[in-house]
Amino acid sequence: MTFKELLEKKEFIILDGAMGTMLQKSGLKTGEIPELLGISHPEIITGIHKSYIAAGADIIYANTFGANSYKLEGCGYSAQEVIKAAVSNAKKAAENTDTLVALDIGPIGQLLEPAGGLSFEDAYEIFKEQILAGENSDLIVFETMTDLYELKAAVLAAKENSDKPIICTMTFEKDFRTFTGCSVECMVMTLKGLGVDALGLNCSLGPEEMYPIAQQLCKFSPLPIVIKPNAGLPDPNSNTYDVSPKDFAESMAKLVPLGMKICGGCCGTTPEYIEELKNILKDKKYTKNQPLKYPAVCSATKAVDISEPRIIGERINPTGKKLFKQALIDGDMDYILSQAVAQVKGGADILDVNVGLPEIDEKEMMVRAVKEIQSVVDVPLQIDTTKGEVLEAGLRVYNGKAIVNSVNGEDESIETVLPLVKKYGAAVVGLTLDKNGIPKTAEGRFAVAEKIVKAAESYGIPREDVYIDCLTLTVSAEQEGAAETLKALKMVKEKLGCKTVLGVSNISFGLPERELINRTFLTMALENGLDLPIINPNVDSMTGAVRAYKVLKSIDKNSVSFIESYNSANAQEKKPVTPNTKRTLEEAIENGLKSECGAITRELLNTMEPLEIVNQKLIPALDKAGDSFEKGKTFLPQLIQSANAAQACFEIIKEKIASSGNSQVSKGKIILATVKGDIHDIGKNIVKVLLDNYGYTVVDLGRDVDPQKVVDTAIAQNIKMIGLSALMTTTLKSMEDTIKLIRTTPQLQNPDGTSKCVVFVGGAVLTKDYAMKIGADYYCRDAKESVDTAKAVLG
Amino acid sequence: MIKLEKLSRAECIRYLGGKNLSVTPQIESLLNECEQKIFETASVKYLYREIPLDSQILHHGNDIEEHLKDCEKAVIMCATLGAGIDRLIRTSQVTDMAEAVVIDSLASVAIEQVCSKVDLIISDIYPGKYLTFRFSCGYGDYPIDLQGEFLRILDAPRKIGLCTGKSSLLTPTKSVTAVMGISKNPIEKRKRGCAVCNMRENCKFRKAGLHCDI
Repeated sequence: MTFKELLEKKEFIILDGAMGTMLQKSGLKTGEIPELLGISHPEIITGIHKSYIAAGADIIYANTFGANSYKLEGCGYSAQEVIKAAVSNAKKAAENTDTLVALDIGPIGQLLEPAGGLSFEDAYEIFKEQILAGENSDLIVFETMTDLYELKAAVLAAKENSDKPIICTMTFEKDFRTFTGCSVECMVMTLKGLGVDALGLNCSLGPEEMYPIAQQLCKFSPLPIVIKPNAGLPDPNSNTYDVSPKDFAESMAKLVPLGMKICGGCCGTTPEYIEELKNILKDKKYTKNQPLKYPAVCSATKAVDISEPRIIGERINPTGKKLFKQALIDGDMDYILSQAVAQVKGGADILDVNVGLPEIDEKEMMVRAVKEIQSVVDVPLQIDTTKGEVLEAGLRVYNGKAIVNSVNGEDESIETVLPLVKKYGAAVVGLTLDKNGIPKTAEGRFAVAEKIVKAAESYGIPREDVYIDCLTLTVSAEQEGAAETLKALKMVKEKLGCKTVLGVSNISFGLPERELINRTFLTMALENGLDLPIINPNVDSMTGAVRAYKVLKSIDKNSVSFIESYNSANAQEKKPVTPNTKRTLEEAIENGLKSECGAITRELLNTMEPLEIVNQKLIPALDKAGDSFEKGKTFLPQLIQSANAAQACFEIIKEKIASSGNSQVSKGKIILATVKGDIHDIGKNIVKVLLDNYGYTVVDLGRDVDPQKVVDTAIAQNIKMIGLSALMTTTLKSMEDTIKLIRTTPQLQNPDGTSKCVVFVGGAVLTKDYAMKIGADYYCRDAKESVDTAKAVLG
Repeated sequence: MIKLEKLSRAECIRYLGGKNLSVTPQIESLLNECEQKIFETASVKYLYREIPLDSQILHHGNDIEEHLKDCEKAVIMCATLGAGIDRLIRTSQVTDMAEAVVIDSLASVAIEQVCSKVDLIISDIYPGKYLTFRFSCGYGDYPIDLQGEFLRILDAPRKIGLCTGKSSLLTPTKSVTAVMGISKNPIEKRKRGCAVCNMRENCKFRKAGLHCDI
């Protein structure tokens, strides 16, 4: 019997109950590793499996839940040994029966980035090892998962290293979310896309509490529904559960009308529970659920239904943006992240991410950008690149269902892009052009759209996941083009039934009052069926046009969103802004008044030289703020506000200097890094803000930074000052290693053997003595002292 | 269910280096906004479990032995504000670093408040008995790398999503693990040292060789 046959032949598929509960009953002690019993006492494990088979389980889970290289470290056995033994024990128990054996894989036990220190790639490797070791099982189960990202790594590892069926179950709390905030809808959308065979819920709750979550699952999931609840809720101290086998079975039976197909028990359940469950389902008929069908994409925490117009933010794209290009070259993620956050605040529902620039490694940057952007915003992302390998790298590390931008009508494009769209379960933008360019007529573009949709369907990508872009041409160059685009849009919408997407801003190149043309064209496009305008969401009139359209088309019922958007916008404007009286620059900095600082600086530039302002006004004012902080008269947030206000001043001075063609205003470059193994980086970031605002150029390498990366950057950019931070006693060793490497790298040494680099260190657990002992030049107690040190070293 | 209540402003300000600070309306509103965000985002979860005094985990070094002297039982606990708070701190660092440090600091106040509430819940289970203060690994000679073992005994990764990694940093970061002794006799009032304070990593007083006198 295979899993597929089970699905077809059985009304319901019965899973087993808890392994841990049974092991505790057989005397497993607190803190002992349950998976090791498979080696030390295989007869106990086989006995438990047999009792579940006797109770009626069609599938038993091998005792491999926590058998991964992280959890087993130091236990004396490898994950491979433990898994092989466990699968063989289960197989032995299932001999001469139709029962299938599942390789059971739980969470690694360590949080993934960004919340934790484990990278997506390392998680993949850990799962891969388990999958390969479990080759003798019949299917693979991932259960008790709470992080969709971890589960994605797991499913990819399974798909790429075996051809077994995959069941995924996640653990939700009563608030319909997992610990990491994943929703049922996002789980379904993402896992369905990755091609798993069944999905559902396990652990945490009893069958009664699980009912509403199962209800939601059945509303969304077209895949067979799996339910494996606990025997009620645990008593915190005794760890016993409160639902009897009979009550458990009765509650489970209530889930049948929802669409439950596969079921068993989790913590607290025993063979008795499974037997009761089997009995109660004996006379019941499976009723297939009727999931909603709707076009949508998602992040791990937010689904965006595109049954109505949604805004795709276009600003994460270096084309024509000098500052953005520079940020990419410098690896300045803060700039990119602030663009992401600003667009979401402006009203973007989805963000396009394009980091293509000839000077950089686009693949590496795409991975970094996707990872970091999804760590600060919750909207879905659109991966925008022309290169297949960049696209795959971006899709791989994206947590959710992404949009791919884009495929076109050329065969080569179709053959490169669509298999990736299918593999990663994304949606895709189809550009209506091919090797002959953009067809002039609407009919021509429609034909290309049709070809793309057919090709997508042949790859198993449903039509609702193809968003056709009928392409905006510049109206000043080809005036009839606008009407043709709109006509094509309408045809695609009506005849192909596809969602449509359009970059709007191109329309107005070469004309004055571009915003006016853009907004008018946007409104026309919406009326002709545009679903996904790609615009700058921080241009109020554009975002406003979409909002107004939704009101006028009765999409925004009772204008709720519209009113909310403008009420809260007004509220923000009404924030108390201190009247611009005759304040000095020093006072403005002291009070952290950013916009006033800018205005005063502009005025001062009429009478003073830029550097005079910096040295006579700005720096003394910052020093004064630092001084008050040191005395405890102000606290850290105020010092940061002063620094930010000074930043506004600096920006204007930099502009002035750049426009006069003079050299840069930077007072020197400094590397900052939180050392390898350490992920708590707020301290380092505070230092960065202050150094930035004192006029130093900070090269921020981020957190968990490899010593070699620090050294390589110092050599490549010829940087003489390096700041390192570590929060934990356990990571001080990494700090020491990093300093050692800096000191012993020949390129960072002077001919006389002294070091070219000055190293300053800081961090919670560090002391001055220790800092000196590990070879640092300076110990800085706080951000203020870091600035003092930079002044002493770089001036 | 533990619900967060008003977070101590004084503690937060102290953590952030304010000693002689006059709380202006601007500071007040910054603190209020940040507190509100914490209330909306935090997902407080905790676990505790009684373990016998001869448990392996309680026999690492002298300080823990000293702490549990005269006790008849021990309870280990853990608590977290959840991963949402880490995300909030991350996002606010991109938009407003001043707000980020306040949230970071207020969240530390919040997890301390949660722990105090867990203390009360536990002491209710042992009527007529006395609880020692919370003693966490990483203090004195009680090794920080027991963190993983604490979490394993409590089944914390699975039950409340609280994990650690090779550096023994708890993730989500606004989290605590600790052990408390249960005694028949009143426990001699020892000054609660930096030992069990969750702010010890960032404490200005401690770094200056002082004490906050809590």
